[in-house]
Amino acid sequence: MMDTHTAVSLFFDLAVIGMLLLGIWLFGAPHTARRGNMAAALALAGAAGLILMRNGAHHPWLLLFCLLAGSSAGYVVARKVDMIQIPAMVAFQHGAGGVAAFMLSFAELMRGAGRLGVLNEISGLLGLAIGALTFSGSLVAAGKLANKLRQAPVFLSRHTRVTLMSLSVILGLIIAAMVMPETGRPAVYLLLILVSALFGIVFSMRIGGADMPVLISFLNATAGVAAAFCGMIIENKLLISCGATVAASGSILTHVMCRAMNRSLLHVFLPKGRPQPVPPGQRQERGEKEKNESGQKWGHEENQPVVDRAGAERGEGFSRALEHAANAQRVIIVPGYGMAVAQAQFALLELAGKLMAMGKSVKFAIHPVAGRMPGHMNVLLAEAGIDYDLLVEMDEINPEFSKTDLTLVVGACDVVNPAAIEVDGSPISGMPILLTHESKAVVCCNLDSEPGYSGVENPLYGNGNTIMLMGDAKESVQHLADHLLDMPVGRPGEPGTPGMPDGDPAGDRMETAVNALAAAKRIIVIPGYGMAVAQAQFKVAELAALLEQRGADVKFAIHPVAGRMPGHMNVLLAEAEVDYEDLCEMDEINPEFQDADVAIVFGACDVVNPAAMESEGTPISGMPILSAHEAGRVIVCNFNADPGYSGVKNTLYEDPKTLFLQGDAGSTAGDLIYGLKTAN
Amino acid sequence: MTNLLLLAGVFVFSFGLGYFLISRIPPLLHTPLMSMTNAISAVTILGVLILFSVGSTPAEQAMGGVAVIMAAFNLVGGFAITDRMLNMFKNKGEGGQEP
Repeated sequence: MMDTHTAVSLFFDLAVIGMLLLGIWLFGAPHTARRGNMAAALALAGAAGLILMRNGAHHPWLLLFCLLAGSSAGYVVARKVDMIQIPAMVAFQHGAGGVAAFMLSFAELMRGAGRLGVLNEISGLLGLAIGALTFSGSLVAAGKLANKLRQAPVFLSRHTRVTLMSLSVILGLIIAAMVMPETGRPAVYLLLILVSALFGIVFSMRIGGADMPVLISFLNATAGVAAAFCGMIIENKLLISCGATVAASGSILTHVMCRAMNRSLLHVFLPKGRPQPVPPGQRQERGEKEKNESGQKWGHEENQPVVDRAGAERGEGFSRALEHAANAQRVIIVPGYGMAVAQAQFALLELAGKLMAMGKSVKFAIHPVAGRMPGHMNVLLAEAGIDYDLLVEMDEINPEFSKTDLTLVVGACDVVNPAAIEVDGSPISGMPILLTHESKAVVCCNLDSEPGYSGVENPLYGNGNTIMLMGDAKESVQHLADHLLDMPVGRPGEPGTPGMPDGDPAGDRMETAVNALAAAKRIIVIPGYGMAVAQAQFKVAELAALLEQRGADVKFAIHPVAGRMPGHMNVLLAEAEVDYEDLCEMDEINPEFQDADVAIVFGACDVVNPAAMESEGTPISGMPILSAHEAGRVIVCNFNADPGYSGVKNTLYEDPKTLFLQGDAGSTAGDLIYGLKTAN
Repeated sequence: MTNLLLLAGVFVFSFGLGYFLISRIPPLLHTPLMSMTNAISAVTILGVLILFSVGSTPAEQAMGGVAVIMAAFNLVGGFAITDRMLNMFKNKGEGGQEP
């Protein structure tokens, strides 16, 4: 009834809507999103201007004052608010939208009493109710997000019943308002606002901190619905259209958040109580099982999150060998009889596994007569559980040595003796050998440098690019395997890194972590809510930049529900000036973890908990997670090793390849930066 | 009645179109998206302006005044903070014209 249905006004309405749609369209890509936001803002400003021009205002000074007061407050807050407070700010704004919606509905209902159509009146009442519950629910959400309220869900006795009852009271009041004589209606309206507001509180108080992404998205949708109902009362298409668009957006976000947490909306909103932690017995079993599995895969893998220092006094040869191993891309391992004697195959497999986990190509070159029987090496390696696809016959592998960065000879002598081709007339001349001497570097783990069975001196041992690690092959290989992740840093990080007491296991872990990062080519950073709490995004970004500077490829893995609202981590990292191209979504980055040398976690727990995939029946089973456990090395910088919000123990922490750096994520990141800088 | 049907149609159509447009926004931008749509929901300010365009009782003025303050806060604050957030999303190849 307010619209003047002329062609001109229709044209302007369409122009406003078109502008708004264009804005949302532009929002679809990061580099145009800002323009999209501007376009949407202009569209609404234009619409407001049009209405003022068309209709004028009866109380211009009051209106101007209110407009200025609201706008300037909004602008100042938007400029000043910390990025950490964005979720709370957005929640509060949803609340402000709710207030505007129910105030408008109230005023229209009062004024239109008796003149409104039935549907307009129903719309008004719904606008009243939804606006009020959006308001109070948002205030609760904002309080929780700003840490002004307790994060934990608050349960009333018979909470679900209270929720459903207040909902039915709201419906009853709406019906009452329709049939009441006009004089009693304002009281019913007020009651309706009150009950709806109470409902909003009851409804949101038992949604815990980590479920806030769902709540805040949901309130986004209800704010839109409330605006649309306001549009229905006054029959304004623009209001309806905008409200519906916002409702659609909120619904999408709610859906995405629920899916990412593997929970239904109903389950989030009507939880049956706190999530139950897994009973300790079950947990134990799971941990054991996992250990066994990894043990089988890599042979006798020691449970060694802390690298032992026993081999530290070993000579320069070892550190050079480790350096080569850490920097090599293609590695070929040549086993010989000495491996069989020393029973070094298990240690060798551990080393190979680590090299592969670091993204290197590893192959085994099998000489036909290596060992004491045909196929001896194949049997030993198969015994240790190596994939036979990696065992390559001599003729096939020989052309590859010249392209190989490192060849590791383990207890082989004659089969790698270049004298066979270079020196005529020796007992082995003409014997086919593995062309190890063509590779860029050779590391020999042999007992001594004595000639082999043939009695012919091996010139390979004297080559400039050969490193001899004499001694028991098993011990040598084990030492390499244990210290591989320390490399290629010549000198390990300073013992006295800030915040890390000297010589204690935490200090060792820090050192190992620094070395692992220094050696890594592909690194994936996983931020979580802990990073937001610790305000660690700047240190994390600095660390990432430093690693990139050192030539590593660094990406950020963003779980959809990491943090407290959709895209929370993206905002924090953007604040710290991380390139958004480096922020990768879960589905996109998950396949990359297996090629990553290091996955480093800052304050994330449930979103990297492999228990989600492995154990049935836990609160998180089936929840999609980031596959951090597939990375070669995992560094966890969390405040503590307690279970996350779900209450399910994180099996990632027990993984032998995990380094747990306990403490404030920001100072841990700072220590890592310090370690990396001083290690050079 | 036809008018109301039309309005319901506007709702359904806008919801559908909004759903289509917003589905293609990458998760990278979900927080700014929420913040922007939040500002858009302050479109209720148009309703309040219409309310002010006709004579009203002091009670209505008071309610309208509160609504204007809240909606304006939401509108300006929402767009401003979205802009601030988006401004932080930096890209190495800034200025690149990739689609």
